[in-house]
This record gives sequence, C-alpha cells and structure tokens, in this order.
Amino acid sequence: MKCKRCRKAAAAIELPSHHSAFCPECFFVFFKRQVREGIRKHRLLSPGDRVLVCVSGGKDSLVLWDVLMEMGYETEGLYIDLGIEGYSERSREKVEAYARERGKRPVVVELAKEGIPIPEAARCIRMQECSICGTVKRYFFNRVAAEGGFDVVATGHNLDDECARLLGNLLHWQRDHLARQHPYLPESGAGLVRKVKPLWRVSELETAAYGFLKGIDYVTEECPMSVHATSLVYKEALSLIEESMPGSRIVFYQGFLDEGNPLRRAAESGAADGGEADGGTEGGEAPHPCAACGAPTYAETCTYCRLKELVRKRREGRSKEAAG
Amino acid sequence: MSILYNSWMIRVRLPQKQKELEVPGPRRVMDLLADAGVRPSTVIVTQGKKLLTKDMRVEDGETIDVISVVSGG
Repeated sequence: MKCKRCRKAAAAIELPSHHSAFCPECFFVFFKRQVREGIRKHRLLSPGDRVLVCVSGGKDSLVLWDVLMEMGYETEGLYIDLGIEGYSERSREKVEAYARERGKRPVVVELAKEGIPIPEAARCIRMQECSICGTVKRYFFNRVAAEGGFDVVATGHNLDDECARLLGNLLHWQRDHLARQHPYLPESGAGLVRKVKPLWRVSELETAAYGFLKGIDYVTEECPMSVHATSLVYKEALSLIEESMPGSRIVFYQGFLDEGNPLRRAAESGAADGGEADGGTEGGEAPHPCAACGAPTYAETCTYCRLKELVRKRREGRSKEAAG
Repeated sequence: MSILYNSWMIRVRLPQKQKELEVPGPRRVMDLLADAGVRPSTVIVTQGKKLLTKDMRVEDGETIDVISVVSGG
C-alpha cells in the first residue's frame, strides 16, 4: 500500500476513517494538522500560554507534550506518582527519561508523601481507586498550575476517551456531566485554571502510531487499577461500530460539540454554573477558599482535604486495631 | 531456562497479554490478528522500528509485536 499523500513511499498506517494511508513523514504532517485544527476550532491555546502538561508516562500524554513542544508552546510536565507499586516507578522512569532527553525536569507530586497513595486510600475508605484518583489528580492539576503561574493545564485525552465518556454520560443521562464535557473548560478565577484537551480529534490508534514512529518510549502496560474500568466497555462497543462504519466516532463527538446541538444546549442550561469548582454549586454562589488548604470549594473544606483526613483517621484506626 | 522457537514459523508477540503465538506463514497481518483474537482497530503492529499496515504479508521466520492502544484511564 502506497502513501496517499506523497504517493511515493510505502504506507505505515491506514486510516479508514479518513479514507487514507500515510508513510511516516506524511503521517506526522497529518497528525499535527489534526491537533492544530483541534486547538484552533475551540481556541484551546494562545501562542504565549504557559502550558502545564499532565504526563502519566503513557502514549497520549507524552505525545501531547511532544507535539506541543514542536509547535512552539512553552510547556512543563507534571507527573503525579500515584503510589501504585511497580507501575508508578516504571511510569515515572519513562516520564523522567523523556524529559531528560529534552532538557526538561517534570514537576513530580508523590501521593505517598502527601499521605494519600491511591491503593492504600482506596482500601482505607472502601472507594473505587479510579474515583479517588480523579479527585486527587484534579486537585493537583489546579494547585500546581496556580502555584507555578501556568495559564492552562493540558491533558492527553483523545477522541476514543472523549467518545467513551460521552457514551457513558448519555447512557446514564448525566446532564451535569454532559454540560461539562468539552475539550475547553474555562478558568473560573480563584485557583481553577483553564483545562484543555488538544488531542480530542485524534484516535488512540493514531496517538500510539505517532508515539511509536517518533521513537517516544512510553509505558505500554495499563494501570492495574483500571482493569475493570467501565470506559473499556464503552470503548469496545465504539470500536465495533467504528470498524463497521469508519468515521463514526468523530461524527459522534463533533456533533455533540456543535453549538447548535439541542442536547448540548439543554444540558448546559440544566447544569449549575461555576465551572468545576469543588463540591458543586448552590444557586450560582461563588466558591470560597478551603479552610484547610485554600483551594476553591463550596463546602467548608474541599473534597481532597476531606478525603485525606478520612484516610488519615482510618489509617490510625487500623494501626490501633493491629497494635491492640 | 531457554526457549527454542521454530524459525520456520511466524512469531506473534503480544507483550501486554504476556502471550506469544507461532503461526505458519506466509500470512497477512490482518489474518495474524484474527488468529490471535485481536480487533485490528485496537492495536498497532510493529516489526523492529517499522509499523505494519494490516494488508502486509509476514513471512516464516519473522517476528511481529502486537501492541494494544486501548487505555482505561
């Protein structure tokens, strides 16, 4: 199979959803155009932005960091060490090696040092690991960005991630989640930084192929905590549809983002305002600083601080039981 | 312990599943994926530093890696 762009070199990747196939060089051009278009369409980034890129060591986040650097954005990486034995060490090594080769040093947050490593926290308070992980990550994205004077936080969510989330939100008619699902979440003052997903137009397969062809050494093993993630079921269903009807995913997600989509308008008007400040909103009330850490919240203390305190108490309780 | 592989077969490695198959060649990538029970849109197939398209033919004695691209986070 020949590359359908240059018509000379052999194709390395075939993309039925774009009726195309590309050699490595032409695929790089295609991929960056897709990312650039995704950024342009929803004005995710401006040329002077200081971007905090959240990197896990996986393909999507490292590819995102790579592409944004190539595009000339001022970027720094943030790695959150979740405290998952083995997996966290291997992921961190990939991030640090990637950064070192490019003369960078990522900001590293170690949850074990913060007193809330994910596996232990989940055991202590009997909560799903992914749910704790999401809360803790969001907290540190905001905190590190605010403390470091970043304009924006960028995450590596791709088209498959967004479609899986959309399908899940629709299946359960999560109107408030639908209203907040967008590649652009605006800042809302007091410590809540703008969040963007510049890879929303590219698929998981395209990101993996880009990373491989660029020689980016990413961690290929999956987080052991995500084995039973519901998003995997949605992805499986969507890939079945995509294989039979190529292009379905981008139509599904782009259609949802369309400003004229009545479903989107209804979800937006039904949801409370105030962006994603912690603890929900009550009648448009402005968030105030958490009594413990100063992060914006609608409660007395933020979800993260309450979670951390709960883990600390349960840990102490367990230690006393073990000692007694 | 050493493992001897049959050099007259195609070796298909699935590192994330810690699984390997040996399949008689020649065979197209898409057929090898069907043999391995893997959906084509969920993986990239590599051979050394090369990325293989699903219509490419693999010969006996060659090794390919099937890397899952699906993440659950």
